[in-house]
Amino acid sequence: MKVLMFTWEFPPLISGGLGTACYGIVKGLLKKDVEVDLVLPTKEEVYFPLRKVTDVDDLPVKFISPSKEIEYSNTVFKTNTERFRYVGISSVPESYISVSEIQTFYEYFKNFTERFEYRTKVPFQEILNNIMGSESIFEKVKEFTLRAQRYAQTLEYDVIHAHDWLTYPAGIIAKTVSGRKLVCHMHATEFDRSGGAGDERIHKIEYSGMTEADSVIAVSRYTAEMVISRYQIDTGKINVVHNAHNIDIKNFEGRKRIFKDPVILFLGRITLQKGPDYFLEAARIILEKYPRVRFVMAGAGDMEKKIVHKSAKYRLKNRFLFTGFLNAAHVAEMFANSDIYVLSSVSEPFGIAPLEAMSYGLATIISKQSGVAEVIENAIKIDFWDVQLLADELIRLIEDPVARKELGEKGRHEVELIKWDKACEEIIKVYEKTIGRIEK
Amino acid sequence: MINLVFYFQVHQPYRIKNFSVLDIGKGKDCFDDELNAEVMRKVANKCYLPTNKLLLKLIDKYEGKFKVSFSITGTAIEQFRKYAPEVLYSFRDLAKTNCVEFLGETYYHSLSFLYDKNEFIDQVRMHRETIKKEFGFSPITFRNTELIYQDSLSDYIWEEEGFKVILTEGVDRILDWRSPLYTYKDWSKNLYMLLKFYSLSDDIAFRFSNKGWVEYPLTVDKFVKWILDLNLIEKGKKNLFLNLFMDYETFGEHQWEETGIFEFMHHLPGKALKSRNIEFAWPSDIIEKTNYQPESISFPEPVSWADMERDLSAWRENDMQYNALETFYDILSRVKASGNPELLEIARKLSTSDHFYYMSTKYFQDGDVHKYFSPYGSPETGYRNFMNAITDLEERI
Repeated sequence: MKVLMFTWEFPPLISGGLGTACYGIVKGLLKKDVEVDLVLPTKEEVYFPLRKVTDVDDLPVKFISPSKEIEYSNTVFKTNTERFRYVGISSVPESYISVSEIQTFYEYFKNFTERFEYRTKVPFQEILNNIMGSESIFEKVKEFTLRAQRYAQTLEYDVIHAHDWLTYPAGIIAKTVSGRKLVCHMHATEFDRSGGAGDERIHKIEYSGMTEADSVIAVSRYTAEMVISRYQIDTGKINVVHNAHNIDIKNFEGRKRIFKDPVILFLGRITLQKGPDYFLEAARIILEKYPRVRFVMAGAGDMEKKIVHKSAKYRLKNRFLFTGFLNAAHVAEMFANSDIYVLSSVSEPFGIAPLEAMSYGLATIISKQSGVAEVIENAIKIDFWDVQLLADELIRLIEDPVARKELGEKGRHEVELIKWDKACEEIIKVYEKTIGRIEK
Repeated sequence: MINLVFYFQVHQPYRIKNFSVLDIGKGKDCFDDELNAEVMRKVANKCYLPTNKLLLKLIDKYEGKFKVSFSITGTAIEQFRKYAPEVLYSFRDLAKTNCVEFLGETYYHSLSFLYDKNEFIDQVRMHRETIKKEFGFSPITFRNTELIYQDSLSDYIWEEEGFKVILTEGVDRILDWRSPLYTYKDWSKNLYMLLKFYSLSDDIAFRFSNKGWVEYPLTVDKFVKWILDLNLIEKGKKNLFLNLFMDYETFGEHQWEETGIFEFMHHLPGKALKSRNIEFAWPSDIIEKTNYQPESISFPEPVSWADMERDLSAWRENDMQYNALETFYDILSRVKASGNPELLEIARKLSTSDHFYYMSTKYFQDGDVHKYFSPYGSPETGYRNFMNAITDLEERI
């Protein structure tokens, strides 16, 4: 079987939550001999013909234009980064940033580049251009969509798979051109991302994508219910395939230590959706009683400033620290140096980060308003708004290191089984059902 | 007679690098050596070296009639040694002329006076020893970080042997109807006080190159005329002191060479000395030159020379600044108790007031001096790096 897949993110060059999930899915599919032609929002008109498992990291490139393909195959690249730069892969995950966030981000970085006197401005300027370009995100989606026809006509495939609203229009075009079936994958709705109603234009794209799709994959029952209630999508074509994780720690050695005291971690974008303020309020309650605990808020986002100021206002001293944006390697290091992970999201379609935290043996507390709560047993589940309960549960774990360790260990074993292989079996079933053929 | 009292502030902080939570406990240096070296070399070439050369020339030319004073922080001297030793040599050459007074202050240009009196005295003594060693000069005049002053400060300084004069800002709300041109005494009548004449000081330091200013361009003739006009307020024979206090970096760094700032300074002493009513003086000269009983003046609330407010709000206004200061002085006391000299040195470098200045959100939207001086993209980034750096220190105790 061969899949034409459209997505906006793919690591290592971009690694938001969507990128992490797509990586796991593609790798799992390749393991099961499903071939994938991957299309990303690249500057050049290229696709990535992925045939064997190692291709998921190597990312071989093919140009649509034959003359450009010749030019490319005659060019020597020293590193993959150089090669990716040649085809123009954007290095900032845009799909997980809302439109208003882009504006804030842009202003923030603009400020940054203007003020940096003594350092080279160039890297910051590049980041800036990547975020905003000369156009808005809708312009980029438009451009991506305009190319879909070329891909759809040039390539050969059995089914089309599009991830999140940014690529739904491309999926619809490809379906129309080729007559192949379309699977739309819902990783996060605009309601989740915005923590409110969000952008109406995006709702419309999400609606038409799922309406045109022959099958819809939702990352959790939580998301499936939202798809049904908010978008009124035909329940018959909705399939729930839970996300999984890629963390593979062969020789688990337990906690590393930066701090002598227990470390309680928030890791994710600091936005309304992730509920950073509930985490802060719980920290305030706990630090009054237990000054010997460290809270770390890892990540960046449009609420970062607000949380920084509020934590200072509460005089949490240096017991509530901020990391700023972390890359993948730093995320791993942060997990390894923490004791308890908290997912305080207001609305989380799935939530891969808790799975990753658990695979590092962290005792984990997750919001009930999340998809991951459906698949995990060995985590404490609370309503995101119940700050007092969150504080009580944290205090219990702080006071009882044995129970904390036990919960962490159980969780670690539990998530070892939540791997992408199983999720991909289900995805393949959805493909087969959709195209009406059963393959062995 | 009106005496021109020039005091130039020479200071460079140890700027902190981007310091992540993950850098804590790894024995990493939290200071940005590369950036600090770059800034020092840049300012040395644009300001310190050419201005020192000019002053030396003027001192030679006027044979002792032209004199100035400097306050040089310990962190600046250390960084001269490390990154631009020729600057230190040129200050020593100036010291040898005996036409330069060196003032006392806290070695680390810190806010310790507000939080930890013992630490404050320690830093004042460290600085005194350094000035003695480097320039062979024992300070008689004291100026606190950024001219921060309130009544209790003079009592602390009076208890330190050797200090007879103290400087601060000529704040309108304190002076009221009084003129900053006269000598005053502190509230306990122990120390002589000189007050900055901020309008003429800032005409040089801030407005010199401002083309929107009605008096632009500022010529030596115009400036000397203003000085002589000031002299008219004194009908008797009392000596007046026009206290022109400013950052030394004004010359060539804040006001670039192209603005004509060096030319201005070059011609000012000659023109001023042509008038029989103008002389140059050191701050400590007022002990001899004050030919009247100075009035005592009280500063019940802290003042400084910073921003429009001339209070502490540049360093202590928003929650980040309060939280950072309170946490820092708590950790400092524990570092001191631990008796680890290496950690104490790092802690003291972190006590420099600039770190808290970078966290100011006062005018961040409008683009102003805070932003100009800050190496960070935002006050929050400055706060984050500082808090992580002091946490690293705490974990190493």
